[in-house]
Amino acid sequence: MDAVEAALDAGADAVYVGLAGWSRGGARGEVTWDELVAAQRAVIAAGRELHVAINTIPKPRQRARLFECIPPLLDLGVRDVIVNDVGILSALRKRFPELRLTASIGCGAQTVADVAFFRDLGAHAVVLPGTVGPDELREIRTIRGITIEVMLHMAEEFVLLGKCWMPSYVHLKPTEVRQTGSMKRGGVGACFRICQQPWELFDGERHVDTRRFPSRQISRIGDVDAYAEAGVDVLKLQGRSLPPDLLASLVRRYRKAIDARTPIAETAALPPMWTVVGR
Amino acid sequence: MSSGYELNTTIANLRDLRQSDLRDYDAVYLGDIYCRLYEANFLERPNDLKEGLRILREQGKRAYVATYAAPRNDFLPKVRKMLAAAAEGGAEAVEVLNFGVVRIAHEEFPRLPLHIGGFANVYTAAGVEVLRDLGAVRFTPNYELSLDEINEITGECGAAMELLIHGKMPLGVSDYCFLLDYEEKWGVKCPDLCQKDLFLKQGDWAMKTVGKGILSGKDVCMLEHLPRLLAEGHRHFRVETLSESPAYRREVAAVYRAALDRAFAGDDLVDSEWAETLFRHAHVGLCNGFYFGKSGMDYAGIRPEAMGSLLTVARVES
Repeated sequence: MDAVEAALDAGADAVYVGLAGWSRGGARGEVTWDELVAAQRAVIAAGRELHVAINTIPKPRQRARLFECIPPLLDLGVRDVIVNDVGILSALRKRFPELRLTASIGCGAQTVADVAFFRDLGAHAVVLPGTVGPDELREIRTIRGITIEVMLHMAEEFVLLGKCWMPSYVHLKPTEVRQTGSMKRGGVGACFRICQQPWELFDGERHVDTRRFPSRQISRIGDVDAYAEAGVDVLKLQGRSLPPDLLASLVRRYRKAIDARTPIAETAALPPMWTVVGR
Repeated sequence: MSSGYELNTTIANLRDLRQSDLRDYDAVYLGDIYCRLYEANFLERPNDLKEGLRILREQGKRAYVATYAAPRNDFLPKVRKMLAAAAEGGAEAVEVLNFGVVRIAHEEFPRLPLHIGGFANVYTAAGVEVLRDLGAVRFTPNYELSLDEINEITGECGAAMELLIHGKMPLGVSDYCFLLDYEEKWGVKCPDLCQKDLFLKQGDWAMKTVGKGILSGKDVCMLEHLPRLLAEGHRHFRVETLSESPAYRREVAAVYRAALDRAFAGDDLVDSEWAETLFRHAHVGLCNGFYFGKSGMDYAGIRPEAMGSLLTVARVES
């Protein structure tokens, strides 16, 4: 809740929160129902929007429980829900036509054809990674009838988001609460950064190197204007893992860049806690 | 499927296709799904693709065409060209691993049946229904689903599933190839880099890298569990050999052809020679992937007390 308030104070137009039990971020980044109610009050008071992440991929038996979460959300005035699976998106679309559904970055959309697919499926919005540049976005923007969000500030791991089940391959401890599987499905195979640990590279039997998978912190504040000109609707910042004070600082920087609509040079050295290494 | 089931595999280029003895396969997917620069990738060479389709037809095999797992905008003209080549060349289906490509195939090549690959992330029966409406007829569920979860999906929607029964399981795909870091150091250029047998290891953990793709280090092995798979109604099985030698492709298929024929006839015995063949080709070991709801590296035998069961062999070897 502190993070929600920090983001609003710093100038965010909308905030995504993970609903407890249904967010792929796991317990660390989720809000309880009471916190959700408080967050919705806060955004209404600020004249902003609350988006709720229901982005695990539940098993059939649990899906009915997920659907039961939706009417109370609508009663609360929340219409924007972000999901992580085409089947869940389609089912929610049919069952709750009043919802505005966002296909999350974990859905893997990167191309003009992907965005058209999600538009046809009934998505209100789709999130693209910050690896999709303004030139690509210009072509993607030829698809009308869907809101396009780009996550300009994010950690880019070696494996594409939503296409990685390395952690659960090597290590998995199912619990009563969390199902088996990767971070994509909200499982116990949640990312424990195995790609950021040193691996020994072997060519056959011969040891040839010790290395980490490549990764980088994307922070395209210098491209805000180019994205705006290319037709982006929403600029999204990955803030889930940041403490409130750093989140506020990050949002404030982007708010300033958006309002100024003039390029701000990308800072070469980001504060450590904003980077992949610091997460 | 004259045998009542289909055993298939993947081959990336014409050279590998010509060097492979495919007698024990019913069908082949053509093309490397990870990288446009893969050596002589079928997915970049329409004439090679048509020739590959012709060769497979001549051998009496069903011929399928793969597509890229993670395309960007600039891939799409080539994807369209290859879908056209697949249609002209008589491909019996196209494997699609990306939603945008599903849409393109459905709109522009509506007569091509679609097989949905594991990277498309089919986790639910509702997801199957979405893709069925767009021409999908067969589905490889996301690799991290257990057999029980897969059966829940088939129970709900009756979809034809294709299961990886042997070989290295895809674990991830990237936009980048970190092997390029080694071009200078090793004096080996792309596209030869990813032809090397490269493994990433950390203690007991191991994964194989093919540049933009990460695969399980251990070979998924469902040899002992074929009777269960058949009893549960599965009929489409893949031996993943994209990054393997022609000898692996031939010998592993021979094992599974014999084992499936036997299981199909109601006999669930596993010959010890079969296990020896599979162990010989599995440099890091065997696993069951996620089929039993555990870590993908685990291996579960069904008859640990029986001589010849893979678990018994594994214990002896360790």
